[in-house]
Amino acid sequence: MDSTTVLAELTGNIATVGYGLAAIGPAIGVGIVVGKTIEGVARQPELAGRLQVLMYIGIAFTEALAFIGIATYFIFTN
Amino acid sequence: MTSPQTSRPTSRQGSPTDSQNPPQPTSIPVLRRILVYGGWLAIGIAVIGAALGGIFVGGIGVVSALIGTAMAVVFMGITAGSILLANHFAGRESAIGAFFGIVMGGWLLKFVVFLVLMFLLRDQPWISPIVLFLSIVAGVIGSLVVDAVVVMKSRMSYVSDVTLPSAPTDA
Repeated sequence: MDSTTVLAELTGNIATVGYGLAAIGPAIGVGIVVGKTIEGVARQPELAGRLQVLMYIGIAFTEALAFIGIATYFIFTN
Repeated sequence: MTSPQTSRPTSRQGSPTDSQNPPQPTSIPVLRRILVYGGWLAIGIAVIGAALGGIFVGGIGVVSALIGTAMAVVFMGITAGSILLANHFAGRESAIGAFFGIVMGGWLLKFVVFLVLMFLLRDQPWISPIVLFLSIVAGVIGSLVVDAVVVMKSRMSYVSDVTLPSAPTDA
């Protein structure tokens, strides 16, 4: 067994990384979308309705990636 | 030309009852429409998915298609539902905190439940993973299409939530 194998040995399923990648991007995206909406509503409360609808569309498109990514991980690990 | 007063619902103009019943954001009808149309879409995808699953996989294909479609549409709909719930706090002192807590908390809870469901369903003998996966993808994409169409067709004024002062009266 050479030293590279010993030092870089990994056990477990590499597909677990897929869950992490599927979760981290949408989490950052949704955080930005909601944070910016709150910032906008705090500045101009009269725009709350419009901003909420736009926020919803942003969240929906972002979380779709997360759902498909997580489902892919679970379905194709075996 | 329509004046701003006539284009707004009368209940949204300043009145003594505004402090007890603060105006609700005008996004509520749009979000409700998204939920209703999403439900109709779910029925359509479930029927088509169950038929295709039944043809290609058999009985477990039907079950998988129904579960996959229900998961996709329910979990996508929770976002609109959480915004509608958070709008009950509009106008209160805790409005922004409650909005952030309910929408983001609902999002986090939704994904934990989704993970647990996927973990439990994956190895069940009565589930076809491929049909389940394809149903989830179809439900998610269909839900996005409904969201986009409803939002594009919705008509909201530029300053949709402005509250106008009440007309002066002779004392």
